[in-house]
Amino acid sequence: MKKVCKYSLSAAILVFVLSQSVYFEDLKVVREQRRREAFNAAEYAGDLWLNELPSVLDEAVDVKELIELFNTNMGQAIERYGKTPGVSRVYAYLLKGEGTILSIDRDGLKVSVKEPQTNPDVVIETGSYIPGNAVRDASGLIDVSKFSDTMKFNEIGSEINKIIVRDVIRPLPDKKPTVGGTIKFFGATQVAQDAAEENLLQLVRVVPIRLELE
Amino acid sequence: MSRKFLIFTVMSLGLLVLGFGCKQKEQGPGKDEDSQSKRRIAVVISTLNNPWFVVLGDTAKARAEELGYEATIFDSQNDTAKESDHFDNIIAAGYAAILFNPTDADASIANVKKAKEAGIPAFCIDREINSNDLAATQVLSDNYAGCVDLGQYFVKKMNQKGNYVELLGILGDNNTWNRSKGFHSVVDNYPDLKMVAQQCAEFDRTKAMEVLESIMQANPDINAVFCGNDAMAMGAYQALAAAGKTHKVMVFGFDGAKDVIDSIRDGRIVATGMQFPKRMAQMGAEQADEYIKGKRDFPQKVPVAVELVTQENIAKYTAYGRESEQ
Repeated sequence: MKKVCKYSLSAAILVFVLSQSVYFEDLKVVREQRRREAFNAAEYAGDLWLNELPSVLDEAVDVKELIELFNTNMGQAIERYGKTPGVSRVYAYLLKGEGTILSIDRDGLKVSVKEPQTNPDVVIETGSYIPGNAVRDASGLIDVSKFSDTMKFNEIGSEINKIIVRDVIRPLPDKKPTVGGTIKFFGATQVAQDAAEENLLQLVRVVPIRLELE
Repeated sequence: MSRKFLIFTVMSLGLLVLGFGCKQKEQGPGKDEDSQSKRRIAVVISTLNNPWFVVLGDTAKARAEELGYEATIFDSQNDTAKESDHFDNIIAAGYAAILFNPTDADASIANVKKAKEAGIPAFCIDREINSNDLAATQVLSDNYAGCVDLGQYFVKKMNQKGNYVELLGILGDNNTWNRSKGFHSVVDNYPDLKMVAQQCAEFDRTKAMEVLESIMQANPDINAVFCGNDAMAMGAYQALAAAGKTHKVMVFGFDGAKDVIDSIRDGRIVATGMQFPKRMAQMGAEQADEYIKGKRDFPQKVPVAVELVTQENIAKYTAYGRESEQ
């Protein structure tokens, strides 16, 4: 009986000491805090690209469904899939798709994702730089309110674009894309809410996040 | 034992009173809604020497009045010392809220801080302060993204080559750099586009005219001028007109001010970025009203998109906004 008391007391002390020396925090929250404290836009973007963006790609909507919604019910496209960091007529969308490459030029890869595969539906941007903030905003991973000044928020967008050029676009020629070949992609696009009315939707411009050639 | 219990009880009561007192102070601004001092809203504007800011201030005042407040406009004349004096007077007079267009992203922080300490919330409109825990909220133009669009249009109009000048706004204002960096994030990717001069003209029409006149003496062969706001675009156009060069130099502005919208329609200015001063001012006044009525969960920063206005789409726009919103 004495031994039981002794062990129970020791266990209680051990649990107490451990509970005082160990604590649990959400890794995502800690990572976010560290990134903000020692702000370096390139590192912030790099960490985001490697550790957080892959998990949100599961939420990417099929580009065929998105194009259909853009043309038939833009309000629903915005409500279901559109993201904006503030007040805007332009929304960012995270998307995925598979299609046939119809042409390869300086403008990018023109791809048909619908049958019959005669006209391109999307153009995957493969230029030497990526303007705008499609991937940053479509990911929904960065809250502008967390930054003391918006320049940091903008620098992150710019650094994400540089990573895309370095890691996605520049290695593409080595994969030897060919007209008629099949391409699978994850990416982001930005579309204005009145784009359909203004006939701006002939080609959805996609900033690539992942490209796979078959 | 009874003595210990007594001490414990007294300490607990003391802590309770302290805690209650703190909570009362936090909730203070929303409580005295009906008192006269809580029905006044101050509108502090960086400068009224620019029509764009006059629209921002007048719209904020008008919306606050529509919501039932007495509203007064204070002109900081781009001077942080004057701005600080305004804040002292506003605090002493016990205004309920401040709709604030800061003069300087860093130097204006102290003013928002002292207002907050006095229990008066500040709502930044158009320009930000470099803090995300002092203002109640900040409604800001998304200058960077606006200038990315403007930069792409600039590249297209210049056929990817030529010499250009950039006129910068006030160097202490984040808007100046967000615009410049957004523009350069595109234009710097084209090696045949050469920036022959980049100078500060402080968002001022007269200064822009003088600065460009001086730049053109050393660089007579320029093809375009990118200006960080519309007042400078009008000043630049005046300098070009005096030099007889309006036909060969394209001018790009940023703001959506009346004279530039008219000039785009007339073919004198090529493009501008439409900010929405009326929309931002109205949002600020409505947020202040919600705050006074008890709401607290505002996002700290709300970027408002800027839209590209060109000679091709000018029909959709009017001064300071979209035609459909008037």
